[in-house]
Amino acid sequence: MFKTILKPFAKLFDFQARTHYRMERHSMALTAGIIVAASIGGFVEIAPLFSIDDTVEDVPDMRIYTPLEQAGRDIYIREGCYACHSQMIRSLRDEVERYGPYSLAVESKYDHPMLWGSKRTGPDLARVGDKFSDDWQVRHLVNPRNLVPESVMPQYAFLLETELKTSDMPGRLAALRAVGVPYTDEMIENAENDMKGQARPETEAADAVMDRYGDDTAVRFFDGRRDRVTEMDAVVAYLQILGNLTDLAQTSQPQAEE
Amino acid sequence: MMSNLTGAERTTAMTIAGFGALIGLAMAAAGHGDPMGVHGWIVLAFFGVLFFIVASALYSPEPVEDRALSYYDDPTKVGIILALIWAVVGMFMGVWVASQLAWPDLRFEGAWSGFGRLRPVHTSGVIFGFGGNALIATSYHIMQRTSRARMPGQISPWFVLLGFNLFCILAASGYVMGVTQSKEYAEAEWYADIWLVVVWVVYFILYMRTLSRRNEPHIYVANWYYLSFILVVAILHIVNNLAVPASWTGAKSYSLFSGVQDAMTQWWYGHNAVAFFLTTGFLGMLYYFLPKRAGRPIYSYRLSILSFWGIVFFYIWVGSHHLHYTALPHWVQTLGMTFSVMLLVPSWASAGNALMTLNGAWGKVRDDATLRFMMMAAVFYGLSTFEGSFMAIRPVNGLSHYTDWTVGHVHAGAMGWVALITFGSIYALTPVLWRRETMYSWKAVEWHFWLALSGTVIYVFSMWNSGIIQGLMWRTYTETGTLKFSFVDSLVAMHPYYIARAFGGLLFLTGACICLWNVVMTILHVPQKAPELDYPTSSEAMEPALPAAE
Amino acid sequence: MDISHEWFVGFSKSFGLFYLIALSIGITAYAYWPSLGGRFDRAAKSILDDEDGPAQEIKSEDTPCR
Repeated sequence: MFKTILKPFAKLFDFQARTHYRMERHSMALTAGIIVAASIGGFVEIAPLFSIDDTVEDVPDMRIYTPLEQAGRDIYIREGCYACHSQMIRSLRDEVERYGPYSLAVESKYDHPMLWGSKRTGPDLARVGDKFSDDWQVRHLVNPRNLVPESVMPQYAFLLETELKTSDMPGRLAALRAVGVPYTDEMIENAENDMKGQARPETEAADAVMDRYGDDTAVRFFDGRRDRVTEMDAVVAYLQILGNLTDLAQTSQPQAEE
Repeated sequence: MMSNLTGAERTTAMTIAGFGALIGLAMAAAGHGDPMGVHGWIVLAFFGVLFFIVASALYSPEPVEDRALSYYDDPTKVGIILALIWAVVGMFMGVWVASQLAWPDLRFEGAWSGFGRLRPVHTSGVIFGFGGNALIATSYHIMQRTSRARMPGQISPWFVLLGFNLFCILAASGYVMGVTQSKEYAEAEWYADIWLVVVWVVYFILYMRTLSRRNEPHIYVANWYYLSFILVVAILHIVNNLAVPASWTGAKSYSLFSGVQDAMTQWWYGHNAVAFFLTTGFLGMLYYFLPKRAGRPIYSYRLSILSFWGIVFFYIWVGSHHLHYTALPHWVQTLGMTFSVMLLVPSWASAGNALMTLNGAWGKVRDDATLRFMMMAAVFYGLSTFEGSFMAIRPVNGLSHYTDWTVGHVHAGAMGWVALITFGSIYALTPVLWRRETMYSWKAVEWHFWLALSGTVIYVFSMWNSGIIQGLMWRTYTETGTLKFSFVDSLVAMHPYYIARAFGGLLFLTGACICLWNVVMTILHVPQKAPELDYPTSSEAMEPALPAAE
Repeated sequence: MDISHEWFVGFSKSFGLFYLIALSIGITAYAYWPSLGGRFDRAAKSILDDEDGPAQEIKSEDTPCR
């Protein structure tokens, strides 16, 4: 890590050493001083978090996102939903009562990047999964003010009209595997079919999704349309899985606590 | 502009622009059907325009006088204008998104005009577009003056300035197309990030080379601040943006980090963007332009050194105060909180140092709106650093986090401190750079000052109110022990404050527009004047060229 | 690479303190080193009259402003 930080500057040090302007050593000393003073604090704070086994709870049944859910997550990021919705329930009484058991580190273990957020213009979404029906989510996304007149959320009706792009999903899963999400070769190869399958119940493709990602995988017409798989399918599938990747939080925090 | 370049330099510039255009063409071809392709065309157009600007002047006369006799100010001038254009664009976006929160239908049909896509255009527009250009331009000015040496090259200053603006354009245009990493204040995707690293390395080399040519034994402290800005932003940027692209022909990438590590890395970056982008660089501005404008040396040079190291050292630890009560290990939260509180010491040392410098020159502060901008900036710097340390305390943060209080705090710093010191510096710098007698309209400067100040105050007060109300409503219980308010209740309570906030922002935006107009009119209509006379000097006998602002 | 998480955390918690103390002493000594006082004063005043162009090898009377 430390080497990674310094590597880009190694050449510069070298370059500087070879130039012979007067007083140069002075300004290089200043440079070195700034780097030393500024980098060590971050290193000391961040590095221990990477001895990850002790930082993050060990949960064998932790599920990974299906390609459709991951596509929904990518759309969630694309539209900037994280600017107004957090996904991190703090260990405060009112938050636990409002949103559910407080968030555990393991629950965002496969989130590249995390979407903990910093602002709640809208409510927290860490456990929004299964709180509302698919139909509610679709109608709310199409125009939030149809269901919640006071809402200031933007309309996302276009999601329902936009066919979901599937062709780049294998590449995306492969990149996620490169950064540490345990997708198998089979999952990556079949990503496109799995995306469609999850939004088309009672087809062969749907069964294949269940085989690969577990029997609990939600396979539905998320957007209510049978004719095609839209971006709305992906976003709703993602919203419905939030908080449901593992039930560790529910089992380890039986009651709301202080 | 071109008349300051030799034939050989023009050829070099053309080669670089041509090379850049080729990269743009390659991106456009490879990224066809993806936003990256659009970015390719933007890069191509950007470098294409530069290519033709240089090509059209390729055979015009070369510079005759000895260039080493003067400072190289052309890039500074362009940087100031660009900063002001970005200010207007970025602040307009801010007013727009603020209004969307009050009136959500204030948008177009297209997905691009939704809050989530426009908000990073506002944040990046003002932080990087306005702030970044202002920092680069003033750093060019200050490093040459304090070193009493001309910048070593003619090409690299342009490369840094224009390259940085290309980054800003790629970032902003990407957001409206939905290209984002979702990391706040680091939303730009991987190829823009790589480009920024290239630009930044050149910037660092340029700075070091200028310093090494200096004719002063001591490096003036403003340069220390700029240098820390350049160095630490490089470290932060590289580490936080480590990511694996999903495809070399597409914009999407996935962060190397996940979950709790990613959260810590992001806020280590996020808060130090505040520290090393929005604080140290602007402190460099303060330490140069405030004493200069006041005509008095800084109150305590030693204190400025102490607070420099204090700020550089303390800030880097504090990012974890964004993650109180979360899944981040408790000890990291505590560490961040502790250092945040200690940070108050060097911060107030800087603010106090600035204000003490003005002690004895209050008459000037009263008469000169430019100096008043700087004074008010120091006051807001003191206020918002105090507020920041306070909000970093865990129980306070429990209330303030996720609410508009955070937004109010950020804007107290961004509008009250960063923007005011920048406007003050621009008003001080413009007559010097363009060799003008004064600014075109001193009344306009006064207007700008009061618009900016009232806009900031309205903004910050409405966000304090809404944030605290919001935080309290979320945690209010009924007598039977159930939560009293639904989330929507709290949202309804915000509505009047969101209107007030948009209005405060509108005042601030109006001020920025006046500033741009004033600078342009100064360049176009104010007569030339020799440089040493249009500026307050240390000589008691000389009348500072300040207007009596009646 | 046999560094345990506990060791890391312990190091992190204590190191910052020592580092802080050492750095503070170093910087304070530098800032208040008596022989440097003159240099600091000169630096503080130097920015007040730097508008006339880069310093030159003294050539003649007419070192101009531009």
